[in-house]
Amino acid sequence: MEVTQVLLNAQSIDGAVRNHAEESLKQFQEQDLSSFLLSLSRELANEEKPVESRKLAGLILKNALDAKEQPRKLELVQRWLALETSVKAQIKMFLLQILTSPVADARSTTSQVIAKVAGIELPMKQWPELIGSLLSNIHQLPAHVKQATLETLGYLCEEISSDVVDQDQVNKILTAVVQGMNATEGNNDVRLAATRALYNAVSFIQANFSNDMERDYIMRVVCEATMSPEVKIRQAAFECLVSISSSYYEKLAPYIQDIFSITAKAVREDQEPVALQAIEFWSSICDEEIDILDDYVGDFSGDSDIPCFYFIKQAIPALVPMLLDTLLKQEDDQEEDGAWNIAMAGGTCLGLVARTVGDDIVPLVMPFIEENITKPDWRQREAATYAFGSILEGPSPNKLTSIVNVAMTFMLSALTKDPNNHVKDTTAWTLGRIFEFLHGSTMDTPIITPANCQQIITVLLQSMKDVPNVAEKACGALYFLAQGYEDFGPSSPIAPFFQEIVQALLTVTHRPDAGESRLRTAAYEALNEVVRCSTDETAPMVLQLVPVIMIELHQTLEAQQLASDEKERQSELQGLLCGCLQVIIQKLGSSEPTKYVFMPYADQIMGLFLRVFACRSATVHEEAMLAIGALAYTSGPDFAKYLPEFYKYLEMGLQNFEEYQICAVTVGVVGDICRAVEDKILPYCDGIMTQLLKDLSSNQLHRSVKPPIFSCFGDIALAIGENFDKYLMYAMPMIQSAAEMSAHTASADDVMTEYTNSLRNGILEAYSGIFQGFKNSPKTQVLITYAPHILQFLDSLYKRKDMDEVVMKTAIGVLGDLADTLGNNAGSLIQQSQSCRDFLNECLSSEDNLIKESAEWAKMAISRAISV
Amino acid sequence: MADDNTASHRRDPIKSSVANVAGQRRRQQAVSVGKERRESLVRAKRLCRVGISGDSDDTVDSEMIIDEEQSILEAQTSSAVEGLKSVVAYQGKGALQKRVSALHELRRLLSRSEFPPVEAALKAGAIPLLVQCLSFGSPDEQLLEAAWCLTNIAAGKPEETKALLPALPLLIAHLGENGSLPVAEQCAWALGNVAGEGEELRNILLSQGALLPLARMMLPNKGSTVRTAAWALSNLIKGPNPKAATELIRVDGLLDALVRHLRKADDELATEVAWVVVYLSALSNLATSMLVKSDVLQLLVQRLAMSNSLQLLIPVLRSLGNLIAGDSQTTQAVIVPGHEITGNIIEVLVKCLNSEHRVLKKEAAWVLSNIAAGSVEHKQLIYSSEAVPVLLRLLSTAPFDIRKEVAYVLGNLCVSPISPTEGDGKPSLILEHLVSLVGRGCLAGFIDLVNLADTEAARLGLQFTELVLRGMPNGEGPKLVEKENGIDAMERFQFHENEDLRNMANSLVDKYFGEDYGLDE
Repeated sequence: MEVTQVLLNAQSIDGAVRNHAEESLKQFQEQDLSSFLLSLSRELANEEKPVESRKLAGLILKNALDAKEQPRKLELVQRWLALETSVKAQIKMFLLQILTSPVADARSTTSQVIAKVAGIELPMKQWPELIGSLLSNIHQLPAHVKQATLETLGYLCEEISSDVVDQDQVNKILTAVVQGMNATEGNNDVRLAATRALYNAVSFIQANFSNDMERDYIMRVVCEATMSPEVKIRQAAFECLVSISSSYYEKLAPYIQDIFSITAKAVREDQEPVALQAIEFWSSICDEEIDILDDYVGDFSGDSDIPCFYFIKQAIPALVPMLLDTLLKQEDDQEEDGAWNIAMAGGTCLGLVARTVGDDIVPLVMPFIEENITKPDWRQREAATYAFGSILEGPSPNKLTSIVNVAMTFMLSALTKDPNNHVKDTTAWTLGRIFEFLHGSTMDTPIITPANCQQIITVLLQSMKDVPNVAEKACGALYFLAQGYEDFGPSSPIAPFFQEIVQALLTVTHRPDAGESRLRTAAYEALNEVVRCSTDETAPMVLQLVPVIMIELHQTLEAQQLASDEKERQSELQGLLCGCLQVIIQKLGSSEPTKYVFMPYADQIMGLFLRVFACRSATVHEEAMLAIGALAYTSGPDFAKYLPEFYKYLEMGLQNFEEYQICAVTVGVVGDICRAVEDKILPYCDGIMTQLLKDLSSNQLHRSVKPPIFSCFGDIALAIGENFDKYLMYAMPMIQSAAEMSAHTASADDVMTEYTNSLRNGILEAYSGIFQGFKNSPKTQVLITYAPHILQFLDSLYKRKDMDEVVMKTAIGVLGDLADTLGNNAGSLIQQSQSCRDFLNECLSSEDNLIKESAEWAKMAISRAISV
Repeated sequence: MADDNTASHRRDPIKSSVANVAGQRRRQQAVSVGKERRESLVRAKRLCRVGISGDSDDTVDSEMIIDEEQSILEAQTSSAVEGLKSVVAYQGKGALQKRVSALHELRRLLSRSEFPPVEAALKAGAIPLLVQCLSFGSPDEQLLEAAWCLTNIAAGKPEETKALLPALPLLIAHLGENGSLPVAEQCAWALGNVAGEGEELRNILLSQGALLPLARMMLPNKGSTVRTAAWALSNLIKGPNPKAATELIRVDGLLDALVRHLRKADDELATEVAWVVVYLSALSNLATSMLVKSDVLQLLVQRLAMSNSLQLLIPVLRSLGNLIAGDSQTTQAVIVPGHEITGNIIEVLVKCLNSEHRVLKKEAAWVLSNIAAGSVEHKQLIYSSEAVPVLLRLLSTAPFDIRKEVAYVLGNLCVSPISPTEGDGKPSLILEHLVSLVGRGCLAGFIDLVNLADTEAARLGLQFTELVLRGMPNGEGPKLVEKENGIDAMERFQFHENEDLRNMANSLVDKYFGEDYGLDE
């Protein structure tokens, strides 16, 4: 096979050629992995070959060694390890050889491939000579070899954990990297590569960072690099500081003063990419301190593993003025959503500082606002407004309310009268922030009163006719205004304006320029929130909205033969309309009288949803699926009549593991339907269960969908009761193995702990549902065989002491369900388990009412099981 | 490539569009709504079970008292009601959650002790608040807790139960098909407690229309709901007025549901369903004739054969007896000797006669006596069955009330069915049975009955003695009676206050033990 041509074809602009080439590569890979990888590495190593084919060869090599999803990754690792040693040796030889290539792209790709191979082999104690041979490269003369080697070392440090390498070798790697970063290194490429390598190695060098002398040295080199004449090196050095700030916050105290001076200078004088990283350093420190302070408040112990050094609090007298200065560096076209520049980064950091220090920031920012808010230069007015909007989260309402009361009139007038769109945009956004953080039923002093309510609404509705970016922010402000009136009571102050608001928002959605600045989306979301937070008094108007939105949705379905970009727009609009119907259905379905008047629309709405699905061939419309969940709940048992037609889309959604959010939403809808139609779902359960079991065993499915799938087993069992028995032999082993895994997972970090707990909760919900479903059935006997394993699972959860409250509540509930359903069959099993009793006692004395209640119930169920 | 890889990571700007967060929030909300609903479903299922099973299980309840003096409990209850009062008035943020947890607290206090502080709750004004919490459109969780509080109050003393009067219409309304099952179930439980209190409250509930929605709850196959509904209904139709029972059996689908549940349900559920059948068959002729025509009889027999649960066997056996006693003509058509079911009935009755439980023995003997009152074929069937040795043993060893029922059976076996042609009121004998039974020693048992103070038992004894005196061949009767001290027994009636018995005894003594008696020897 002429691999060069195929690799070039695979990058052709001609789709047919490209597809054909990709197909042959895939075939080659599947038929003979050894020669496939060999010929790719040979291609990559061959200096005669075009750089494009070499680069792609490297990329494919890399992708043959690693994947994002864990199961797929493991599979690739196994395949590599299974190759013949001689083949692997040959490939590795080629790879090391390429590091000396004069072609930069070939070297760079190879660095990553080497790191991936190292990531597989070093933990298995294979390729022991790698690091030694890389380190020997460092002393070679050609600078490009040195550069490539440092780059490789950086990726390698990122790829592997420091405990698979001798500390001696770690030290040598670090020495090589730090030497490369040193000002004495004459070659900028080498110095840049070394600096980036350090960035990648930050967590790899933990041991060295704990040593005061070594840390001092590293910090000095990094700080020196921030002053390199080469901008890329300065940027990379600041990136190192950012990474160090989040990895080693507790070690920063001796350096913080110097770092402040360096960052302040960079923010003031340096080019944008560098200044952005300098600001990012402080944002990152804020992140750390916010987390620590949260722990102080949140934990019972009032403690955190890491103490707070209050760097921000000490820095604000200088830090805040520095950030305020950045706000004046706006770009002329920054209203694009998500624009990122110094002013944006500065405001974002200011917001984080406000959240970190609270009230203390207010006196530091107020003079800036007062001085600039009325200046003729729009930049000054905008910066002042932006500063105000940024500090609204963090300080106490007491501190802000009086200021906001004064500012409100000014803001409302600026929003209508300021000649500049940037100022109006930021003003509307600031109003939204005011409503988001200072308006709501929990506030002592209301910001919005009968005196100004009407004016506020009038101004916002007026601004919705402004240019798209301003109108979009006005919609956002209205969103939070409505949200603040949730739970306000039987009568909402905005009820009198309901009709007017809805009309204005619908008008916005029809603006020809509503596609700009995400205006249409913001208008629909604002409408949704207005509906969601509305009260009974406006229910008739919400009902009137039903046919209106239905007609809009109907119209999108009538459009024929669309070009692909129009099709995308149509699908987006359908999403917004389905989202709106979802909220309306939820609202009207939440009380009997409104549900009653809504139900006559149900058939037609369902018909529309089905047509939305039919618009697409392969995927399912996520928003339509969500809306159907709401409709199922509202319709109750009546929903069963839609199942014959709807089922295929349900199945399609469950099959969509590429777009895992769709799969997740669909799993949730299965639960909604189970609760709605109960045993009428039975005829579809074979298909649904098959699909769910497939999902669980898929390598490709995102792990976040797995806990809800387990919960969904519980939903199904609750709905179909003992009929679930035929799925037990398939579902139970899956649940059990997940249970085993989740009981023994070491919680590496918060994210993992959270996931593990959500997995446990899903598993326990499955058990609860199954037990309750089988309760009172003659088939309960079949569950007895599973009881010992389940009790063991509960035991191990209890003993590990790392459950969160939710898991604890569900777990003790399962114990009760088990006793309740199995009765005296389980009594002796439970009696034998000391830890079950301890667990129960602990839950009985819990502070958490829900845990206590579950525990009391479990106690009752157990005593009955034992006494029979 | 290296540049892509080290591209500085970028945080989300503080100033961003609401469009970015709102959709995500809606999605999360949908997920958390689903989670809440799952939880409340699971929770409700558990809560109801506790409510429903808790009352038969005092040992467990009493364990739950945690060293609390009654007075402390009462004080806590009063303050819980006060707490409820203030949150019911509150309309602000989290109002629902506050109401639910206040209700939850009150319910906990009311469930805590064997002597729930019902009086304290009533004095503090709980009822109007609970009624308010039951108002239409309230969330299920709130309805459930409120109904549970009322359930516990209704379980109190009669006056306390009556305090529920203002809540009854809403409790009945929430039985409707549109609401959630757990709520309906809890309301049914509360109403069952009320109905159990007495005729007056039963009539009020009936006039407010509780019967139909409760009956409809029996129709689906939801175990715990049906069980609670059945329990409540059996309390509601207890009578003595048979109207409710007749009305119930006329509800569309109810008979089918009874049959279905008796066929499929577990013992626990079947027990409650059987109690409904007991009252239907005891009170309403219409119900009895409909039940007999259905598969119920067969199913009752199967239940008797299969189960060992006393709780279940009692109502099943009583239902069977009611049906057999109640509609003799239909019964004769169903329980035909030679039919499989007839043999099965006898078999299960023998099983009951052999059981440990006095109630079962008595009920079984009663059922047998009704069958024994039937045709000659029926009598022959029993006579030749396993029942006779057991009956004979029971007649000599069992407690009085069982002996009496047994005596009816044995007595009935020895006489022909009354035919209109015989004028003298004395039944004609089935000599074979009489001779054989007397030969196996049953006379002593009957004479014992004559000695008892109970007039009904004494009459039975005398009647049988008459049969022996009249019927035993070769004039053996008087000797046998004398041998069992029958003369003494009868002479005790010489001056008995009951004229009937006195005449009967005196004429027997005169006729068979007159002046001529003993001269032959």
